[in-house]
Amino acid sequence: MSILLTEEQELIGQSARDFAKENLDPIAQDLDHTGQFPAAMVKQLAAQDFLGLFLPGEYGGAEAGFVSLVEVVENLSRSCAAVASILVNHSLAAYAIQRWGDAAQKQAFLPALAAGGTLGGFAVFEHGPTPGVGPDALIATRHPAGWALKGTKAFVRNAGAADVYVVLACTDPAAGAKSQAAFIVGAKAIGLTVGPLAETMGLKGCPVADLVFDDVVVADSALLAGADGQTLTTETLALASLMEAAQTVGIGQAAVEHAAAYSKTRVQFGRPIASLQAIQTLLAETAADCHLARLGLRCAAKLMDDGQPFMVETAMVKQFLARFGAKMLIDTVQVEGGFGYSEFMPLPRLFRDIAGTTLLDAPADYPEKTIAAALLA
Amino acid sequence: MSILTAEQKQIQADAAAFVAKEVIPFASQYDKTGEFHPYLLDAARESRIFAMAVPKEYGGLGYDALTQAVVLEAWGYGCAGMGTTLAASVLSMDSVLVAGTEAQKKAYFEPMVRGEIGSFGLTEPSAGSDAGNGKSTAVKVGDEYILNGSKCWITNGGYASVYVIYALTDPAAGMKGISAFIVEKGTPGFSIGTVDHKLGIRSSNTVELLFKDVHLPAANLLGKEGEGMKIAMKTLDMARPAIASLSLGLAQRALDECVKHLQQQYPDKAQPGQTLQFKLADMKIEIEAARQLLYHAMNLRDAGLPYSVESAMTKTFSSDVAMKLTTQAVQLMGSYGYTSGISKLMRDAKIMQIYEGTNQIQRLVISRAVLAPARPAVAVQKGGN
Repeated sequence: MSILLTEEQELIGQSARDFAKENLDPIAQDLDHTGQFPAAMVKQLAAQDFLGLFLPGEYGGAEAGFVSLVEVVENLSRSCAAVASILVNHSLAAYAIQRWGDAAQKQAFLPALAAGGTLGGFAVFEHGPTPGVGPDALIATRHPAGWALKGTKAFVRNAGAADVYVVLACTDPAAGAKSQAAFIVGAKAIGLTVGPLAETMGLKGCPVADLVFDDVVVADSALLAGADGQTLTTETLALASLMEAAQTVGIGQAAVEHAAAYSKTRVQFGRPIASLQAIQTLLAETAADCHLARLGLRCAAKLMDDGQPFMVETAMVKQFLARFGAKMLIDTVQVEGGFGYSEFMPLPRLFRDIAGTTLLDAPADYPEKTIAAALLA
Repeated sequence: MSILTAEQKQIQADAAAFVAKEVIPFASQYDKTGEFHPYLLDAARESRIFAMAVPKEYGGLGYDALTQAVVLEAWGYGCAGMGTTLAASVLSMDSVLVAGTEAQKKAYFEPMVRGEIGSFGLTEPSAGSDAGNGKSTAVKVGDEYILNGSKCWITNGGYASVYVIYALTDPAAGMKGISAFIVEKGTPGFSIGTVDHKLGIRSSNTVELLFKDVHLPAANLLGKEGEGMKIAMKTLDMARPAIASLSLGLAQRALDECVKHLQQQYPDKAQPGQTLQFKLADMKIEIEAARQLLYHAMNLRDAGLPYSVESAMTKTFSSDVAMKLTTQAVQLMGSYGYTSGISKLMRDAKIMQIYEGTNQIQRLVISRAVLAPARPAVAVQKGGN
């Protein structure tokens, strides 16, 4: 048993690694080329209990907690971060329903989310600078049958593939983001359409698109009333940051292992470039950044498991990776030089993927704001 | 801004106008297809920009080094892939400028003036950073050389009409046995191998060149036998700042796109917070520092002074700045950056740290200069200030 992980967590991580080697390594490069949503893979993730990993046992979840979740995300990402993205975004919807849903909502959605019959998505961003203020802002207005939703959510992951979305909408346009509320919306709801797939730099296979709501009517029972929309958004996005950090660490780990192996076989100046200190430094810095990020994110996940506040620690991990995440691939591609820049080699995919796991999903100054606010409180 | 002559400023404005019309609108398209499109040469023919490094006496534009840098910055701003096409063509001409005879210059530059491109072939699978470790050979038979071997990652390889190719005329002599040759497209035995698909600069053409018993007239030898490595090093000294220029263009584009994005995100008088404001300030500082180092290196070259170390420094600094700023741009724009042409800037920037001598090789050159012994002792001044 490792000092950092329980035996159970270690086993779960190892099972994810084994699964990824067997099932993701063979498809990763193809998935990157085609960008086709790997529907069959979702069933396999479910069979491994990954889709309901942290959900309570009474809903069919594995009840294994968030440290296990980030272990799984990292180990999948070492082979294919795009498939991990599908799990990450699914988990956000499951988390929101589990954390803030009432008994009926949990019973209605969680068992299917855990079993893989239902894939989740989380729709929070809009094209305006802050939710609720743009011309396409998603507005929820009262309707005899419950609520009517009109507007557009932007950059929704698992868009088109998910069966159910947790969607943030403003209930009072004058109050903007402060009036946000979360709704559970089925993908087949009348009036809900998926926009064209965005052309992403990486993480191809995890679809990204707008969700367009044209007076989508949902019942009162669709409202997640356990928290106000802002609290729900902030906490769910923190979990997103944590899982994305795990993706980043997985990608970085794969990259540094590949670059190290390459450096031992690449001979220049009559010796393997691995013997050059300049190359060793690039590898060592990457490995160190990867390790420290892993410790930081496990620590935040442990806080979640213990029911402790985890927002600041998560912001610190995000801040660290905002500085050093992309660098892991900038430096490992450098080790592989002209060969490494070729898309016939694996690192370009990892380079494009890591930009998606470190650089997105929050205003660029969000982590600093969160950390400073805690310090100055 | 910097001190450019009125003529240089005009050339800069013309280059920016050309790029706005002929490069930027097509950058995304050719990035997606991953192909070089010869339309670029058609568009550039009238401006004769591909002959900017050709001296006036050969019908070229005869731009000095600083002016070339200014033009390449504009191209890097528009599309570093297409900029690479231009830079690589100039690179091949530099070898002819360094070592060509009158007749060779005339022959080599003539197609450039017509709007065709050249290509420079030094790298081989076994000879990347270790440029002297190539295996291609050129054996003299009568008044011909017979060229055999291959070259890899050769920019413009599939579309050039003339090439400068490095090969061993004396394999036993190692690096001192390398010679440089002019090779024309269509010479029997010369063919194009695999076309590379790259992380970035996808609109530039990168291929393998294959030589099987290619007969070259002895008159195609550049300089003397065994001078190849010397010619290559001088050529790369000249050409490296081109990478600094393209990088500078990328960095400036990254900043401009960030500003444009923030202005859309914060309409009216609203401003981003200081974290972002200062990030923009740092970007601006690094861009200006990179620009001044580049201009300084170019001024040295134009003045006929040594600039080898400055050439290495400007390539390294500019490309590191480009990598950093393009990464920050994707970050600052988040999903907008990730799903748009902004991510292309980041992919393009990565090669700037690798090609024409990795930044590790540049640091080797620079650190050797820093640590060079035998400096004249400097008297230590004592007392009174």
